[in-house]
Amino acid sequence: MKELRGNMRLVGALVVIAFVALSAWFALTVFEQGSIWASSSRNTRLRQTSAQRGDIIDRDGVVLATTQNGERVYLANNSARRALAAVVGDDAGMSGTGVESYYSAQLLDISDSLLERLSALFNGKQRKGSSVELTIDARLTAAIAGQFPSGYRGSVCVLNYKTGEVLAMVSLPSYDPSNPADAEDTAYLNRCLQGLYTPGSVFKLVTLCSALEHDSNVINQSFSCAGTWNYEGGSIVCAGKTAHGTVNLESALSKSCNVAFGKLAYQLGLTRMRETAETLGFNENMKLGDFVIYNSQFPTSQQNASDLVWSGIGQSTVLVTPMHMTMITASIANGGAMIRPWMVKRIASVTGAITHSGGAKSYRQVMSAQTASTIARYMRSAVQSGTARKAAISGYTVCGKTGSAETSDDKSVETNSWFTGFIQDSAHPYAVSVVIEQGGAGSGLATELARKALSASIEYIG
Amino acid sequence: MSKIEKMRKALMRTNTRLLLTAVMAFQCISMVLLAFRTNPIDTQALLLAAAMPVLTGLTVGLLGKLWPLDRAILILSLLLASIGIITLTAIARSPITPRTHAIYAAAGLFAMCVGIMMMRSIRDWRRFMLPLAFICIVMLVSPWIIGQEKNGARNWISIIPNQLTIQPSEFMKPVLIVVLAAGLSNRPRFVRCLPVLAFAALCCGILLSEKDLGALLLYFLTTVFMYYAATSNALLTLAGLGMGCGAAVIAYHAFEYVRDRIAIWQNPWTDPEKTGYQLIQSLIAIGSGGLFGMGLGLGSPRNVPLYHSDFIFASISEEFGLICAVCVLAVYVLIILRGLMTAMNARTSFHSLTAFGIVVLLGLQTMLIVGGNTKLLPLTGVTLPLVSYGGSSLVSTFFSIGMLLGISSMNAEDETKDIDQLALKEELAL
Repeated sequence: MKELRGNMRLVGALVVIAFVALSAWFALTVFEQGSIWASSSRNTRLRQTSAQRGDIIDRDGVVLATTQNGERVYLANNSARRALAAVVGDDAGMSGTGVESYYSAQLLDISDSLLERLSALFNGKQRKGSSVELTIDARLTAAIAGQFPSGYRGSVCVLNYKTGEVLAMVSLPSYDPSNPADAEDTAYLNRCLQGLYTPGSVFKLVTLCSALEHDSNVINQSFSCAGTWNYEGGSIVCAGKTAHGTVNLESALSKSCNVAFGKLAYQLGLTRMRETAETLGFNENMKLGDFVIYNSQFPTSQQNASDLVWSGIGQSTVLVTPMHMTMITASIANGGAMIRPWMVKRIASVTGAITHSGGAKSYRQVMSAQTASTIARYMRSAVQSGTARKAAISGYTVCGKTGSAETSDDKSVETNSWFTGFIQDSAHPYAVSVVIEQGGAGSGLATELARKALSASIEYIG
Repeated sequence: MSKIEKMRKALMRTNTRLLLTAVMAFQCISMVLLAFRTNPIDTQALLLAAAMPVLTGLTVGLLGKLWPLDRAILILSLLLASIGIITLTAIARSPITPRTHAIYAAAGLFAMCVGIMMMRSIRDWRRFMLPLAFICIVMLVSPWIIGQEKNGARNWISIIPNQLTIQPSEFMKPVLIVVLAAGLSNRPRFVRCLPVLAFAALCCGILLSEKDLGALLLYFLTTVFMYYAATSNALLTLAGLGMGCGAAVIAYHAFEYVRDRIAIWQNPWTDPEKTGYQLIQSLIAIGSGGLFGMGLGLGSPRNVPLYHSDFIFASISEEFGLICAVCVLAVYVLIILRGLMTAMNARTSFHSLTAFGIVVLLGLQTMLIVGGNTKLLPLTGVTLPLVSYGGSSLVSTFFSIGMLLGISSMNAEDETKDIDQLALKEELAL
């Protein structure tokens, strides 16, 4: 009997501990994620509540969305309103990623304090939800959208790489949040967060990072480029079959030499490439807090040499979101520390109580500071003397990398035009990524737009 | 009886009286609130506002007078059952649901009394082991012959078609525990355990064939834990748990519905309209409730399929809020702790093991369904004991609680006898 009691005490204690742990876990999860769950566009309660939605405000205090006489009102300027639709969303919840949807629980305060709700019940006033203040600059966003080459689709993200503040997200085609039902195909998508694009040559930054991190001698290595390279089972060609001759890593990046990077990926092997890519956030469900991004993808296994070689130049099955690409560029600019991008500065209730305030937070160190500065130097020479010359802004040091990503096997579709880069200046720490769908080879369109976006950032934000 | 002993008892009586008063007040106030929610006034709710506290008070008073049972377990069980009735009144589509549930609860109280009396009157349970095991197997097999499939599991049989259906796996839980306790009592050697273990394995096999994963898991874990407590054979217990894990892996590869469950649990958002719908709506309901809840009857938990049975915890979280939901879990912990004390104090290993089995089953079942509702564990279709809508589960759980109470009353009597004897010895010594 004594032994029985001892055993029962042990098992009973285990059960009770498990039970208490489960309860605590439950409470913590709900406490942390409850409002995110409640904000889901599938929550029908949000349409039933009598509360008035709170305001959405940009970093300068411009009111992007407010409620007047029961109607949701967005910016008066037509093009600015459309430009900000990807960020702000709409109260019908057509865009699931917009602040209107993602923060609807806070905008409506559906689970606010009992006291406030009781007082609302007694004084008969309509409750008003919290206001959400963003790090986004509305003028900058509208300016970038205005500069976007007309007739094209794509996206632009601008980040402050020191603090992680998201300054602008443009996704085109856009739609009118005042009339959300009338929209072009795929307009509800925020391409910055949800657009999974083949990165093409901008991915060479990752291949370069992998090489520098894994092999200290690679920096002295030179590659011979005859414009095309036949490896076992296939061949890789440089743009326009240009023979770059003998190149080192720096000139390979600034000239965007496919052969050199194909060889580099081949000598690194898939395991090391994958390790670096995953350190940088590929194949990872990144938990950023203020918004959700789709998972970028890097192949986890290879069928043949082609997969590896083409992955090295960002083709094959590699996919990336523009926001993630900007994060990678930002970590190069920021000495190898990946910063967590954030968008919500402050959430304040009607009474002025601040229920949430954002701030700079490091995501993790993704490469050594030395690697980061080497890549930055190579990117600078790409702007000074390589493929990214159109990104140069006089008076500032711009570093960048162009890309043109093939999305079809037979070249029947124009390539996507990419640019990612940053200003090397601690007073203007801005990183940008531009994708222009079917923008054509040479990536001139994307590079020019990136320059305009960076100049506008300097102009509007300072 | 010593003076200190008397004072301790008096203090306990005051405590239980306080607890009882609080529970009765909670029942009355909640139901009155719900009655005046609608226009015209919900007479059924008003009736329940009077009936529930009265019945609670009477049950506790009467049973407490008859037998010296553990009143805390009794009152807390009644509290849970009334939370079930109140929540159902607040959220159900038609008033028939809470009415039926209240009738089941009354039947449950009756079953509880039967449980107390059976536990107190039957001394030699070993005689009943074989017939009980036989009944258990027959009942578990019965859905195969006269059964119905509900929510993907074939675990129902209908007594009166379309009116009274019961779930044998629920009713057989106390039977399983009693058979195991009888077979494992008095520290048997491994060979002597084999028949009951084979019986438990057979039960699990039948449940697997009926796709009743929740019950299967509960039967299995209860058996393993009772085996360990009875024999202290850690090696074989771990081997049993390992076998269970192995079986789970095999089941994962062999059965598509197991894979589906796991996939939904890992990420319900991939298919929010179909397979993930239930879980997502549950999370949304819990999230909408926030800390203090939407208010009794003010939420809309009906968006969650099975909001009244498997997902009632999500409904409670939405209506009452996170803080109250955690308090409900605390009530379970209290019942479990008191139940464990009862198990420790029991005089024979059979009674000890029975009480232990009941408590462990109750704890595991609550964990499974609460974890399932909140995406912490994969969802298995079991009820929240004493709270969820469903006659089989409610009556069977009340019966188990009755057995537990019966054991606690016998413990108290034995204790009194001990004290009397001690006093007699002291007198003789003088």
